[in-house]
Amino acid sequence: MSRTLAVVAGAAALALSWWEGGLSRDQASAHWSVLSVIALVVVGAGVFGAGRQVMFSGAWARAPLSLRHHLAEDPGPSLAAAVWTLLVLAVIGWDLNSFVHQSHNLPTLSSLVGHVTASHVGRAAVFCGWIGLGGVLALGWRRR
Amino acid sequence: MTPGAVVWSVLAGALVLWGTFSGLRPDLPGPIALVRWFTRSWLGRALALCAWAGAGWHLFCQRP
Repeated sequence: MSRTLAVVAGAAALALSWWEGGLSRDQASAHWSVLSVIALVVVGAGVFGAGRQVMFSGAWARAPLSLRHHLAEDPGPSLAAAVWTLLVLAVIGWDLNSFVHQSHNLPTLSSLVGHVTASHVGRAAVFCGWIGLGGVLALGWRRR
Repeated sequence: MTPGAVVWSVLAGALVLWGTFSGLRPDLPGPIALVRWFTRSWLGRALALCAWAGAGWHLFCQRP
């Protein structure tokens, strides 16, 4: 991506985020803007990613299963990956537990984020981060 | 502070500590490597994008 295009895309994302920050969850414009960003990112992933993935999906899905091989070859990174897995599963598990109990004493992750997105600046900042993450997931680290 | 908020604080602290430690060590996969791992194949990228889209819809269209 050229530098000019990147600057224009960044400025558009910032402007969209600021506009989105002023909306609420019940507004149709909030729904359409979120759906439009999702559609744009998914189409972008397909258009720019065709034939440029690093691995085939089958090999990617099977790779973590060779745990013994990974531990023997690269024990440090393998254990670090295990720690990441545990932390991510802990977050998902605790969020599910909080959701199932529906108790004021057990807030879900989204209810905590809801305190941030309740304000214009907070919603705009979280939306901007969300767009950025989507862009990275759609376009990042392609094989040249 | 509610018991749930305490657990969230502990999890957030663990994520920040581990993310900082692994991010500063070139021999360990840090938070960027974690995201990068999902983008190595179409399946991983599709799974990550589904989670991303669902989170966005929930946060901006269902939550205040």
